[in-house]
Amino acid sequence: MIAENTQTQMRKGILEYCVLLIISRGQIYASDIIAELKSARLLVVEGTLYPLLTRLKNNGLLSYNWVESSSGPPRKYYILTEEGRQILGQLDATWQELSYAIETSKTKKS
Amino acid sequence: MKKTLNINIGNSIIYIEEDAYEMLTAYLSEVKQYFARNADNYEIVTDIENRIAEMCAEILETQQKQVIGIFDVQTIIRQMGSVSDFESSEAEALGDRPEGQQGTAYGHPYRTVRRLYRDTDQAMIAGVCAGLAHYLELDVRWVRLIALLTVFIAGSGILAYVILWIMIPRASTKTEKMTMRGVEANLKGFADSYLDPFMAESKGFLAGFFQVIGEFLNGTGRVIFKTAAVFIIVIASICLIGLFVMLFVLMGIWDADVANYFPFNIINEEYFNPLAISTFVVGAIPLLALILFSARVAFSSREVNKTLSFILLIIWLAGLAPLIVYITRISSEFKEGAEYAQTAELKNYPEYVLTVDRTRFFSREDSLSYSIDAEHYRGKRILADIDDEFKAPRNVSLWIEKSGNGKTLLVQNFRSRGKTFQAALKNVQAIRYDYQQTDSLVNFNPMVQLSKDSRWRGQEVTLTLKVPVGTMISLSWELQRYMSGNIYWDCENNPAHDGYTQLIMTEEGVRCLHERKPGNEE
Repeated sequence: MIAENTQTQMRKGILEYCVLLIISRGQIYASDIIAELKSARLLVVEGTLYPLLTRLKNNGLLSYNWVESSSGPPRKYYILTEEGRQILGQLDATWQELSYAIETSKTKKS
Repeated sequence: MKKTLNINIGNSIIYIEEDAYEMLTAYLSEVKQYFARNADNYEIVTDIENRIAEMCAEILETQQKQVIGIFDVQTIIRQMGSVSDFESSEAEALGDRPEGQQGTAYGHPYRTVRRLYRDTDQAMIAGVCAGLAHYLELDVRWVRLIALLTVFIAGSGILAYVILWIMIPRASTKTEKMTMRGVEANLKGFADSYLDPFMAESKGFLAGFFQVIGEFLNGTGRVIFKTAAVFIIVIASICLIGLFVMLFVLMGIWDADVANYFPFNIINEEYFNPLAISTFVVGAIPLLALILFSARVAFSSREVNKTLSFILLIIWLAGLAPLIVYITRISSEFKEGAEYAQTAELKNYPEYVLTVDRTRFFSREDSLSYSIDAEHYRGKRILADIDDEFKAPRNVSLWIEKSGNGKTLLVQNFRSRGKTFQAALKNVQAIRYDYQQTDSLVNFNPMVQLSKDSRWRGQEVTLTLKVPVGTMISLSWELQRYMSGNIYWDCENNPAHDGYTQLIMTEEGVRCLHERKPGNEE
């Protein structure tokens, strides 16, 4: 139970960071984000992404454009805002710290 | 073969099978519930719906299909993730609520509302009891037992069952079946429903039987219904023609003398034609309406024009009004009564034979009206055919009494009714009654005759035959049949006088000559 909880917490933080990373590479459609996350083995189900995207967007980190689709309805393509870019920079820094922390923790122990 | 639906999801039109649709609906409602507390729920759900629409389109395109099936929906849900998946990965992302409250967002399903449906899957007859059992959360056996007991309360259970059968809808779709059971119409409910053995059809023998009957009635029943309607049309048409004939007869087009026969001679001559017409109208319009209605049932033709039915109603009322007026007027002519008595002395004989004579007695007036020439008539007799004529109420009665003065007397009391006493008296005078004495044989006319063109106003004659003590009287069988009075049914018939009842006048009154022995009943 504790393990599960920690796993969830870890995944959640990393998921957000990864989503921002993927979007930072250029405007992208939600299902493409999903595809990338899946290939990165980070996401299990699509349903989880939509609330996340909406929340990031409402916090001003993301915005989207409607793009006409050849098949079906227009699609939402997400891009990073300036604020998002700044936050991503902060997250990058944090990640470096975390990565260092983990590496150090692991090496010192072993 | 499956029923398919046409749904609009994420602004695209998707053809979907019914069970798949129900599953998808359940899934979406679950998703909506989950995000209901999220400030951005509308946007999130729209995104998910759009994505589902896109997935459907992809499936249809890649698999070269026309319709989304339940398997496709399962694939979509697996890909999108169920609410429990969201819960594990999104628990904190949803907001800054404390962990304990998180559970209430979804963990406690809100109280499900049961709805009353008929459960045809577990039905004995039509699933009313099973449906009630689900609704009331009782074991179906108790409900059935109670239902069976109410049948014995003057069969009220049967009536109640039929009414409920008609009123309560059948749980036909999976969602309805789940709401009936109070299972939430969500994905979990779906999953459970596939495992629940009771969800599968387990029809009782009777339910199968009634279903067959129902199908039979739908097909053959319609034929029977139409046949019945045609039958009604035919009968009603015959009645209508009969009414026409009656109208013509009554209005004297075919038979001028009809007004003098019994039921018609009640009606005043001046009322006759209007009354005939209004009776016709009052009778014919409902028949016409019946024909039109049956035609509509039988041939599913158009509904009867509203204006036409309104006009028919007006005509019917217009016919009813004079009918009531004339009937009231005629009844008022029975208000007062008048009576007068006439006493005649008969020649004394020690024994009288009383019988009825069906010979019609003609007055001069009658001879003219029936074109009977007295010259050519000679010894021929005309017999009144009492049995076949319209039966007027028996209007001649005979009472045998003791004569106080040794003389044989016949008292005739003539009675009638009328609007006033004078009118009643006038009606009494219309009575023509005859008897004939030939030595000891007295012939009575069994019926009161009315003079031509007079109306029947309850005219009657009471005959009182007063004979001295010791006089023997033989009553013929015919007299006893056509007349009322103190007639002695319980006398033993004398075999020597076949068909006659023999009476003797004693000091105490009239007695049977041969008392019927007890136990010798015929």
